[in-house]
Formats: sequence, C-alpha cells, structure tokens
Amino acid sequence: MNISVLILFLNATLLPVLSLIIVVTILRKQYLPVIRQMEKEEAEQLQEEGKVNDAYKM
Amino acid sequence: MAIAIFIIVLIIYIFVGAVVSKFVKNSDDFYTMGGKGSTILIVSTLAATFLSATTLLGIAGQSYTEGPLVYSTLGSFGSWIGTLLAVVYIGRKMKALDCTTMPDFFEKRFKSKWVSVVATIIMIIGLIGYGVVQFIGAGLVLSEIIDIRFELIMVLFTIALLAFTAFGGMYSVVITDTIMLFTMLAITFIIAPMIIGQAGFDQIKNLSETIPGYWTLAGAEDRSIGWSISQFLVWILFFTCMPALVSRVFPAKNDFVILKVASIGVFFAPLMQIPIFIAAGGMQVLAPNITPTDNVMVFGFMEFTPPAIAGIGLAALMATVLSTASTLFVLVGFALSRDLYERIFEKKLTDRQSLLYARIAQIIVAAVVCLIAIMQPSAIYWISIYAGSFFAVGWLPTIIASFEWRRMNSKAALSSMIIGVTTFVIFGELIRRGVMPVPEGIDELMLALVFSVGSLIIIALLTKPNTYELQYFTKMKQTSMAKITIKEFQKKPNGLALIKKQYRQVILSAVAITLISVAIWGYLFVQLGL
Repeated sequence: MNISVLILFLNATLLPVLSLIIVVTILRKQYLPVIRQMEKEEAEQLQEEGKVNDAYKM
Repeated sequence: MAIAIFIIVLIIYIFVGAVVSKFVKNSDDFYTMGGKGSTILIVSTLAATFLSATTLLGIAGQSYTEGPLVYSTLGSFGSWIGTLLAVVYIGRKMKALDCTTMPDFFEKRFKSKWVSVVATIIMIIGLIGYGVVQFIGAGLVLSEIIDIRFELIMVLFTIALLAFTAFGGMYSVVITDTIMLFTMLAITFIIAPMIIGQAGFDQIKNLSETIPGYWTLAGAEDRSIGWSISQFLVWILFFTCMPALVSRVFPAKNDFVILKVASIGVFFAPLMQIPIFIAAGGMQVLAPNITPTDNVMVFGFMEFTPPAIAGIGLAALMATVLSTASTLFVLVGFALSRDLYERIFEKKLTDRQSLLYARIAQIIVAAVVCLIAIMQPSAIYWISIYAGSFFAVGWLPTIIASFEWRRMNSKAALSSMIIGVTTFVIFGELIRRGVMPVPEGIDELMLALVFSVGSLIIIALLTKPNTYELQYFTKMKQTSMAKITIKEFQKKPNGLALIKKQYRQVILSAVAITLISVAIWGYLFVQLGL
C-alpha cells in the first residue's frame, strides 16, 4: 500500500467531513434553539386559539 | 477549429454581458448582484474561481515531471481547507457585517483612513501581481494553440472582459462563471478520464519504477517534507483570505446558501484538481517528453481526445483565464471606485453616480491590466513572486484579530499589515540572494508571519482601542448571518416550516457530499494506492 497516495485521498475525504462537522455545529448552535423556541411559541399560540374557540363554543 | 472556439467563447461572454446589464439597476446589483445569489450560482462561481490557469498549466506541468502527489497531497490540501475557511469563517462573517468588498470590513471595523488605504493597496498589488501573470501565461499558451498574435489575444480578451465587467459587475461574473463551469467540469469528467483510460491505471502506477519517487510526497526531485509543509501553509493562509474567494460569499441570498456552498462548493476544489494531476501522470505514460511542461494538459486534450472534446478543453482553458481575469478586473475596479474614491476621499455620490464611477473604474483597470500584459515589465514578475502571499502576511492576522480580539485597534492593524508585507519581501530577497541562510523548510512566509503576528500583539497590548472600535466590536459579536437569516424567514408566511426545510436541506447536502467523496476517492485509492 502506498502511504503517500493514502494521505492524498484521506485528505480529500477529510475535507467534506470537516465541512459536515462545521455546518452541523453551526446549525445546532445557531438555528436549533431558535427553531425549538418558535415551535414552542407556535404550540402556545395554537393552544390559546383552541381555548378561545372552546370558550366561544361554550 | 481553435479560432472558431476562441471567437465563440468571446461572443458568449459579450452576449452575457449585454443581457445581464439589463438586470443591473443600482450599485448594489453591480457590486453584489443585489444579494440574489442562489446556491447553484454561488457554488458555480466559487468552483470556477478556484480552478485557475495555474492548476491547468503550471501545477499540471509540475505533476507531470515530478509526480501527482508532490503538490496535491499538502499544497492542494491547504488550498481546499483555505477555501472552506474563506467561505464559512471570513466570508460569512463579513457578509453578516454587510460588507460589499473586503476593504469595506477594514473601514467599518476601524474607521481609520490609513488602515483602509494600506489594506486597499495591499489588495490591488496582490491581485494584480497574482492575476496578471496568470493572464499573460495563459495568453501565451493560447497564442501558440490558435496561432493568433499574443498582443491581439490580450486586446480581444480585454474587450470581452470589459463588455461584461463594466456593464454587469459581479452579476456578470457570477453568471458567466456558472455558464462556463460546464467546460471546466468536462476536463474533470471527460478529458482527464479519457487520458487516464488511454494510459491505464497500472502503467501510471508503474511510473515509479522508471522515475524513482514519482508516486511519493517528495516526488522525482526528492523535495523535503519542510518544502511540502511550507506549501501547505502558503496555500491555506493565502486562500483563507483571498478576496476572489471571500467576495464570492457576498452575493449569497442567505445563510442557508452559504452553508450549502461550504459543503457543495468546497467539494468541487479537490474534484476539479485531483483528476487533472492524475491525468498529468497519465501524460507521462503517453508522451514522456513534452516541453514546456506547462502545456501538458493542452497537449493531452489536443492529441488524445476527439476534436469536439478538445474544443471543450480549449474553451475550458479560456474560461479559467477569463474567470481569473474577470475577478481581478471587478475587485480592483471595486477597490478604485468604492474603497478609494468614495470612502477614502469621502465623496458623497448618488447611487447613479456610484454606478457610473464603478464602470469608469472597470475601464481604467482593464486598460492598465491590458497594457501590463502586453508590455510585460519585469517588475510584474518580481511582484508576482510575492503577490499571493501578501494577503497571508498582510491581511490574515489583522482580520482574525479584528474578529476575535477586543483589544484589536487601528494602530495594531496598521503595524501588522506594514511589517508583515515589508519583512516578507525583505526576507524573500535576502534568502533568494543567499545573504541569509535559513534552515530547511523555513521560508520568508513563516518568518514574515511571525513578525506580522508579533507586532500585532505587541502594539495591541501597548495601545488601547478607541470608543468606536470597542462599540463596533460589541456590535460585531452580536451580529451573525444566522440571526439575519432567521429574521428574514420570520417575515415570510409559514416561516418556521421554511427554516426547518432549509435546515434539513443543508444537512442532507453535506451528508450526500461526504458519501460521494468517500466513493470517488475510495475508488481512486483502490486503483492507485493498493
């Protein structure tokens, strides 16, 4: 096995792996908390609307 | 046929320039295509910018004579990582700060005329030194192939470049890069495999029996590991803050586009280089005595592929020249009109005037570059030795410290830029003339980088940032592309669903690219490494 050739193709494979790690880290740290917060707000809003509807029906 | 292709390619560029100019309504469109860049456009322009005539000519020639691993294993790897950092770290941060050009950042961060002037001058010299020599080199090769006088080729190129840069600015550059990328990919997916197929993997692999060291990191010239590491450093430091790559992020529509480009666009870097270097090894099997070696890939597609494919190869060579040169034209033009004239001379221009001055700057740059290319003053070759690394020693320490260090101030930035560039040239000349012996593997770039970073730290510790610099640092730390993009999406109906959709798309594209990479590079390793 040629170690120099192995290093070249390992480097070429490492690049997208590094991109994947960076991209996933950014998404998890900067987007996921906001998505969770927005989901929570949306759920609360739906619940609120549901309560208003129930009160109206009653 | 060669002349016909030459004319067709020029017509494509002029036609695109004419069409795109109708979409350029204001200076924002001219400088950053109005921030309308989709994933496919930004990926294409980044890939086309990455593949320069240097890869197709000089480095392919080096791979042909010394072996495909000499440059690609560490030098190329540095440029790939540098491209990733240029997109996801520097470009993304500057885009969040609403920078239209890279010198914009220095202006916003320090509000110091001297810092802006020095940063802009470094960029103009760096880009001209790096770009013009490529323009000349590729022009000479084309002149030989299509049998047209070199001077006429330079003038025709300049007219074509002017037709789309002066009227369309970055908009035209991005669109032409996207259109012409297919010719560049033809080299990777059609021409290189055809050459490799004719040479045969086994014969290419067996070259190390006739040329000792051909399939090693040291290569046939038995270069030291220090040399390889220094190549890695040169390319990673240069590409991380190379304006041609960083400015490709500014037209991006939103953060999701940037994150997709970070995985898809960066994947194109090794994809477009490695097959060319292996094909150069294949040419060593098929035609072992090509001179000058810079012409190896041109000789390969002219002699070992059918005429139609050879025509696409020729168009690709022209596209790499025009892509590199158009980047040089627009960025230096932007520096003249926006960074020097509007900002440093504090000219208050209406948007209409700003667009007019930007176009005039393009014409001035085109005329100067064309003259330099035709006259070929010896100074341009001297500048080109140092030009690319100016960004590594002059800009990179200042940019990183500006992003991350609260104490960073204009005095530290100015001293780091000036000391970095001057020590780089002085050490380079002393080493080249044999006046200053240095240990194996140490070069002027490493020495200058130590001086640049050292002076930055010392001056920053001895001085204090002013109120504006402290306020901007705080503001900068609170600004991110993620926040800007989320705010944009929240304004849309069904914003949460759209954010989730983009979130999934970014992860899926990054995972898919990783799997494709494993398959491609795994296959080539089995063919060449076992």
